[in-house]
Amino acid sequence: MIETLTYEFPATQSVEHRSHVGVVASGNCEILLEPSSDQRSAVVVRTSVSGFDGTWQAVLGRFFARNPVAVAIEINDFGATPAVVALRLEQALESAQ
Amino acid sequence: MTALLLTESFAERGARERARALLDAQSFRELIGPFERIASPYLAAQGVVPQSDDGTVVARGTIGGVRACVVATDGRFLGGSIGEIGGSKIAGALELARRDAERGTPTRMVLALDTGGIRLQEANLGILAVSEICDAIVALRDLMPVVAVIAGRVGVYGGLSLSTALCSEIIVSEGARVGLNGPDVVETESGIEEMDSSDRPLIWRVTGGRQRFAQGFASELVSDDVPAIRAAVERAFEAPRELGPLVAQPFPDPRLDLEAFLRAMEIEP
Amino acid sequence: MSASVRGRVWLERLTGGARPIGGLPPSVLAADASIDGHAVRAIAVVPDLNGRFARARNGEMGIDEGFGVAAAVRGTPADSAILAIVDVPGQAFGTREEAVGLQRALAASTAAYIRARRGGHPVLTLVVGKAISGAFLAHGLQGGWIGALDVGDIEIHVMSEAAVARVTRMERDDLIRVAKEIPATARDIRTFATFGAIDRIFSVGDPDAPSDAEVNEVVRALAEVLRTPELGRRNPVDRLNAPAALQTRTLARRVRSALQAQWDA
Repeated sequence: MIETLTYEFPATQSVEHRSHVGVVASGNCEILLEPSSDQRSAVVVRTSVSGFDGTWQAVLGRFFARNPVAVAIEINDFGATPAVVALRLEQALESAQ
Repeated sequence: MTALLLTESFAERGARERARALLDAQSFRELIGPFERIASPYLAAQGVVPQSDDGTVVARGTIGGVRACVVATDGRFLGGSIGEIGGSKIAGALELARRDAERGTPTRMVLALDTGGIRLQEANLGILAVSEICDAIVALRDLMPVVAVIAGRVGVYGGLSLSTALCSEIIVSEGARVGLNGPDVVETESGIEEMDSSDRPLIWRVTGGRQRFAQGFASELVSDDVPAIRAAVERAFEAPRELGPLVAQPFPDPRLDLEAFLRAMEIEP
Repeated sequence: MSASVRGRVWLERLTGGARPIGGLPPSVLAADASIDGHAVRAIAVVPDLNGRFARARNGEMGIDEGFGVAAAVRGTPADSAILAIVDVPGQAFGTREEAVGLQRALAASTAAYIRARRGGHPVLTLVVGKAISGAFLAHGLQGGWIGALDVGDIEIHVMSEAAVARVTRMERDDLIRVAKEIPATARDIRTFATFGAIDRIFSVGDPDAPSDAEVNEVVRALAEVLRTPELGRRNPVDRLNAPAALQTRTLARRVRSALQAQWDA
């Protein structure tokens, strides 16, 4: 029913603060972002919509290619579109810097 | 221009931003924030992704320069429904406010509710939590005002409408709705001839903020505007009106001409 | 659905057929009696097929029932305990009720019970039938001590199964499966008791026609509670420390201790 996906990306930059954006509402997602001391980023996605592993990989890959930040990210998703996810990631990063 | 107007809307904001908006500038401090990850353990098995704050935000700060606490529920997450965690946040905050009042260091308590009621996915724990909330509201209002703000998109329904009715000051917005049973619940339980949940004019006539204010359920009617709501909250503490009739209402209520009342609302008596 | 007689039966048996007090709507029965030398006002919500609100004729908590129970509770003699007898299939689901303001009617009885209990009256509750949702919140759940009959058709929940299915978009079979996995969604009295809110469960053969022995067992239990009035004055939050709640309500306690720790910066 609920799918949990995990991803890792290399990282070279750091962020100052943790940040929290979004909400678990239809077509939306909640993101918790925390600075990490590792040279990589770890992402955990919990979603009620299964079968979009590749889409998540692509959205997250694009984000970390642009922003190679060392963070731990938790995403609680209720069917957010890739565009909404990308927006939330940018918002989370912006308020973490 | 649109953006400027939106920043003043209360209903457009999430629970955290609503709490921030009601507290004095720069005074917001969240308790049990999302990074503590006290989230519902009951939802995943029912196919629902939990939210890290369980949809209920507790914030301390000041209102009018006085110690305060705002508890806000987020109508966007599962309809703002109240389960064990959210319910315990509300009840626990009320209990601490009562303790403060007894100690002579009062904490102004505001419940900014936006909720469809008890969360069905944890029903038994929700109903117990609401019984604790009701008790704590009455215990606190014996010592100081307990202020409810109903100005969200969901409004207040279910067990929480009952709790809200116990508050001594109730501020409703024109865009909020208040009722015990949501329209679709009435339709499911009693049939479409009893209530057509798609009949929006009927629902607004029956449960809309303007109507609830006219009935004397609320102490203030406000527009969806943060400064107006903040001012109403401050007034509620400075010059409380104490919605008293609820607790001491005589039976049968001699003021209620049921037939005339219903006809005025275009409902067949 | 045939109207339940259970609330009336238990009220009459437990009060020894005392004459109901006047001034209440026909759907609210209240009688003053003595149990083991202790004064008790028993209150039940019962069906009234001629009630002025059509959706509250089968024992539901409606406008008249909420304000009626509130009046009965507020009128309790100073030295008397209160016994709420609960067989409420739900609150009234009606447009007229909502228009008048059903939340206020149910808040009125809720507040009356709270004020009575906090004012020193022991408040005891006996669940003999359904105890659904807002109706239970408004009549019974504010009791300091709660007993219940152990019968299969007793149901405690916030909504009927049909409404739950509609709102959660789950099939009935799924709901039954989930209830086994997640006790918080169950509807039976034994599971509800695991959360620490039920102090005593009584076995009974036919809850609509209890034997003298079955009634006497309940009377003995009530008498025992009345001898220790603090039991009937416990507040809902005290249930968190009930033995049964120690394993099941850990989150409610954890939230409170976290709030307390963070309350003053």
